[in-house]
Amino acid sequence: MKTAKFFELAKLHGLESCEVVISKDTSIDMNVYQAEVENYSIADSRVIYARGILNGKMGFAVSEKDDAKTPEYLVKQIIISASNSESDDVAIIFKGSEKYKKRNMFNKKITALSEEAKLQNLFIIEKKLKAYDSRISDVDAASYSESESQLELYNSFGLKLKESDNHFYYYASVVIKEGEEVKTGYKVALFNDPDALDIDLFVKQVAEDGLSKLGGKPCKSGKYPTLINPKVTSSLLAAYLGSANAERVQKKSSLFIDKLGTKVASSKITVLDAPLTKNIFYTYFDGEGVAKFNKPVIEKGVLKTFFHNLSTAAKAGVSTTANGSNSGGKIGISISNIVLKPGRKSSEELMKDIKEGFYLTEVQGLHSGLNPTSGDFSLQASGFMIRDGKFAEPVNLVTIAGNLQKLFLDVKAVANENELQLSSYTTSSILVKKLAVSGE
Amino acid sequence: MITKKVAVQVLNAALATGGDFAEIFLEETYSNNLNVDSGKTQPPSSAVSYGAGVRILKKLQSVYGYTNDLSLKGLVKLATQLSASFSGAQEIFVTEIEKVKFNNKHKVSTPLSSVETKKKIDLLKKGDAVMREFDTRIVRTIAVLIMSDRNIEIFNSDGKHFQDSQERVRFVLQAIAMQPGAFETGFTGPGAHAGFDFVEGLDIEQEARDVADLAVRKLSAKDCPSGVMPVVIGNGFGGVIFHEACGHPLEASAVSKGLSPFAGKLGQKVAHESVTAIDDGTIPNAWGSNNIDDEGVATQHNVLIKDGVLQNYLIDRFNGRRMNRESTGAGRRESYKYETTSRMSNTYIAAGKHSKDEVIGSVKLGLYAKKLGGGSVNPTTGDFNFAADEAYIIRNGKVCELVKGATLIGNGAEILTKIDMIANDLERAQGMCGAASGSIPTDVGQPTLRVSAITVGGQGGKLK
Repeated sequence: MKTAKFFELAKLHGLESCEVVISKDTSIDMNVYQAEVENYSIADSRVIYARGILNGKMGFAVSEKDDAKTPEYLVKQIIISASNSESDDVAIIFKGSEKYKKRNMFNKKITALSEEAKLQNLFIIEKKLKAYDSRISDVDAASYSESESQLELYNSFGLKLKESDNHFYYYASVVIKEGEEVKTGYKVALFNDPDALDIDLFVKQVAEDGLSKLGGKPCKSGKYPTLINPKVTSSLLAAYLGSANAERVQKKSSLFIDKLGTKVASSKITVLDAPLTKNIFYTYFDGEGVAKFNKPVIEKGVLKTFFHNLSTAAKAGVSTTANGSNSGGKIGISISNIVLKPGRKSSEELMKDIKEGFYLTEVQGLHSGLNPTSGDFSLQASGFMIRDGKFAEPVNLVTIAGNLQKLFLDVKAVANENELQLSSYTTSSILVKKLAVSGE
Repeated sequence: MITKKVAVQVLNAALATGGDFAEIFLEETYSNNLNVDSGKTQPPSSAVSYGAGVRILKKLQSVYGYTNDLSLKGLVKLATQLSASFSGAQEIFVTEIEKVKFNNKHKVSTPLSSVETKKKIDLLKKGDAVMREFDTRIVRTIAVLIMSDRNIEIFNSDGKHFQDSQERVRFVLQAIAMQPGAFETGFTGPGAHAGFDFVEGLDIEQEARDVADLAVRKLSAKDCPSGVMPVVIGNGFGGVIFHEACGHPLEASAVSKGLSPFAGKLGQKVAHESVTAIDDGTIPNAWGSNNIDDEGVATQHNVLIKDGVLQNYLIDRFNGRRMNRESTGAGRRESYKYETTSRMSNTYIAAGKHSKDEVIGSVKLGLYAKKLGGGSVNPTTGDFNFAADEAYIIRNGKVCELVKGATLIGNGAEILTKIDMIANDLERAQGMCGAASGSIPTDVGQPTLRVSAITVGGQGGKLK
């Protein structure tokens, strides 16, 4: 779309200021099953997000259609949107930050690699998984996915920002059968450097994820000292930090109302919002065009800031934290690239003094079994028992129940893994004093 | 969206390297949402989803691609790129395309677009006001009207052309209640494959009162006890248990590779004899219904389990190849950005003989999960979890105190054998189901029923 045409029409129809974001994505996906390419897909798509202010109210519209009529359609929809709005959000189109910390995260090595080479890796992964253990009855997926995205932001103040990145991941999933018992194991390995893939390590992780679950049964119900692995820690932390979303605080549906500057977690917990970290989740401007920056969110258990966009910040009389995000055209708040500051000890060391405890490795049902407002949760879980300081029998089909605030206040120690998760969080295992596990 | 002539060229480009089937799926969907948040209308949102997906099959291989460029050049480029995955000479040539006609079972008397925005907002405000005024402890209320007009066209190498328009509407009410130390929510979200007439038929004030009432009552509810116990699951959204635990493992995507616990069990007893389960995509105006699926196959009334015996699966064209079975009209996708796979439509457990009171009355000490929330399942192992939105303790056959924070967990194949008493009050409820081909509207449903034993998780200690 010609943005000039849109800005011209917007002005003509009385929009005070406006913005266009054009997002373009391409991707390639391939999946190998039983030594053949089972699925191959390619995608090429674009979305136009447009916003504008009319009589002090923000309106917005989204279109994947891009033809001669698109600018007019978008302006018309923005007017409908703004003129029906009674929102007390502060309508702001951003003039621009003084400085942007732009870094090139696009890796040409990914596109340079031939499709044959990528496919070959999948064939090898599938073959090695089948040979890994006789109890692996099927490799139901060995797939590769690569994507490239480009984001452009233009507004009527002349702000122009552009960012492009690319990354890829390998995913494999196995079915393990022993007698009547069936388990699944999987792993996603996400990178933006082709040299980072270690096939043997990946194969081992996929296979062991499934094999280690064999023989899993519910454990005895009780309150156990619990070590939570980095993956589950990241899921629980994400749910907890949702309470620091300023929009939720201002709309009174958050645990963190009036909690700024107070203790919301154990003093072992320090959390940083680190969007400028050099990893594949790096991003240098937010959904409103504000320059991103790193900052502490929880320092030694004390809540230091909420996550703001321009509107919530204006209402609270503070500066935006550059967490504005464009969600279907509307500006919300997003939280990504969070770092939980690691401790000094390894999780094995933390486990040493536990006579009987639980090692939590997986939770299910976060979207339904967790009340994001109160922090109460009751979730399907699995993991291992800890006996005399060591991993013992696998545990499956139990529930863990508690409250996020209590859980994070209850953290005795943070381990030192410092692992980047698919969720963009970098986390380590945490040890909590007691967690209610319900099984037999 | 494209002419037959363009379709023929694109299909032939797709088949040029020996593919045995090719399909073009075109979509133009207009979505509009209205949202009233604590009495204030938020800026209405609108979105146009527009694009085409091209698919080529060759035996058990499938290639898929999509683009927003619907020009002849754009589509031929995509088809050619995809066909490069195969090497061979063209075997199937498309010369003519014929439009397939069918009756529209989902009549719309008042199209959503014919009703002015203000009238719609007024309805939302009515619901919102009832919730807000219900109790001083209600701190936030949300009323949303979700509307979509999905226009699809399918051209395939069988020389067929299908066209359908699917209008859907959903009316969502949510209330959040707060008192020191507690937050609770109430929710309802009725929807249909219909127009504004559906919304006008709702008793919005009653729905709003129920939502607010539940949120407030939950504030003083005790934590749900945990342990293995008999559970009576309420009708309507309680059907999510069958959806997650049994519906997903009956999808051909899992069955065709032998990954499902139900694979190879046709004709065998998989459930208690009182269980009959159906997936019916033909129910007029139901949320999960369509005239045709996203591969152009007519939807069906598909009996999955009859009197405990497995009768059929949910099958799409591609997975059907591996199973040597025809599609059951279950090929669905969120949009052109997804390749179709086997999915549910309106899936429910059929009504039984007992009254609801008889089912509840049969339990000495257990849980009545009147309303279930969401859940998830691992389709290979069948392990599932659901949250209960509204649950009570049953003592001596009587419904007693309300409890909060209950989660039910178990295994699908196992629970089917434990559903042992079914009432006659079948109801369906609406949801969005997420899987490989995206998020799609589906109905779940069931009568009130008893599960003899299931693991309940909660913070309330042992049930006494």
